[in-house]
Amino acid sequence: MTLRPDNRLADVPMTPIRCGRCASRVLVRKSSWDQTSVQWDAAAVQGCAERSHAERVAARGRPEPFLACSALSESIVEAARHGELKVVDDVGP
Amino acid sequence: MLMSTESLPDDVRLIEADAAPTRFARGWHCLGLTRDFGDGKPHAVRAFGQKLVVFRGADDAINVLDGYCRHMGGDLSQGQVKGNEIACPFHDWRWGGDGRCKNVPYSKRVPRLARTATWPTLEQDGMLFVWNDPERKPPPTDVTIPRIDGATSTDWTDWHWYTTVVNTNCREIIDNVVDMAHFFYIHGSLPTHFKNIFEGHVATQYMKSGARPDIPDPEGVKMLGTTSLASYHGPSFMIDDLTYHYEGADQRTVLINCHYPIDANSFVLQYGIVVEKSEYLPEEQAIQTAVALGDFVKMGFEQDVEIWRSKARIDNPLLVEEDGPVYQLRRWYEQFYVDVADVSSDMVDRFEFELDTTRPGEAWMKEIEDGMAARAALAETVG
Repeated sequence: MTLRPDNRLADVPMTPIRCGRCASRVLVRKSSWDQTSVQWDAAAVQGCAERSHAERVAARGRPEPFLACSALSESIVEAARHGELKVVDDVGP
Repeated sequence: MLMSTESLPDDVRLIEADAAPTRFARGWHCLGLTRDFGDGKPHAVRAFGQKLVVFRGADDAINVLDGYCRHMGGDLSQGQVKGNEIACPFHDWRWGGDGRCKNVPYSKRVPRLARTATWPTLEQDGMLFVWNDPERKPPPTDVTIPRIDGATSTDWTDWHWYTTVVNTNCREIIDNVVDMAHFFYIHGSLPTHFKNIFEGHVATQYMKSGARPDIPDPEGVKMLGTTSLASYHGPSFMIDDLTYHYEGADQRTVLINCHYPIDANSFVLQYGIVVEKSEYLPEEQAIQTAVALGDFVKMGFEQDVEIWRSKARIDNPLLVEEDGPVYQLRRWYEQFYVDVADVSSDMVDRFEFELDTTRPGEAWMKEIEDGMAARAALAETVG
């Protein structure tokens, strides 16, 4: 199958954001203040301190998925507040 | 005669779709409960565009082989288990779980190339899995199905299990992972927090839902909502840790949602439930809960099937900002349809999509209230 691009990214693409804690670089997009998409790469995953900690803790028992990095979530909200990250809702039609 | 004379617009959005793939996904597929295959008789299973034979030998191992004898094409599922081997009903050729012909009773030797196709198996938590790989490589050690503690515990019920055939390509059921809006419109639940995470061979859906004001609570118990943590481990097997929150107590359940392809345009859908027993929910009531939850899930899937029956396959869905990450999910799903060497990093790199649904929640609440008002008005008219 030919993989197709997401039609929503044509209007507002993802923006690079650095985490304030570990400086991992991810791509972020917010369609609204409630919605956030984050694209990681292997280097960002390896560099994430919270994730490494969660993996050490989860070494026993059924592996729970790592739901979110709270430091990164804060960095994203900060970037949106300061206008470094556009919120699609605010951009207007 | 009425005739529309306006000229037709030429900027119409077209639905695009390649034919459903004829290749079948690489990964562990659950064929069903071990208790349905382990009786020492051969069982026919149509899967991956072929007919397979499943049998448990005298050595207790469950084996999965191509269903047809390499000698003259006899149907092995109509044969008999003899020792550790399956005997063809046509000329009694014996095939072992390793795919090799062990014995031709009327001949001194077996031919040199007497080897048939086999599928690696896994028996775990009461379920039988087969590893499908078009490249015919063994399963990597890091691609596994996690254990389900409740499935083997006496503190939980036994599996309550459903099996049904769905006549469409199995990508449709995968799409459900990201389709948050459809839970409200099709299944009547109200998500307040929704998250998808795709990483490696695992795709997760995390969802917290509140109780809907228009659906009455069961027998006076106040339902506060549900938490669901559901992950596909590979292309076809989802474990959903589903907890119901009641005033004063939580009720833990595990829901399996899995399938295997029959061919490009049909699949076997299976779902199973185990429910934790507690002082509030002793044996008998826990079983009843499993049955009730099963009926509820069944109703949900029947509503999906009704949509799938007539919908078009679409590779270029036209999405609004409020829709889920359909394209990113399909990018993840594609890893199972290419050779291992062709799995690209964008198929397996971590992707997150999160929605704290206060805003769409408000919009949906409004629709529910409108619905209640409409029903009340109707009741007044009728009454």
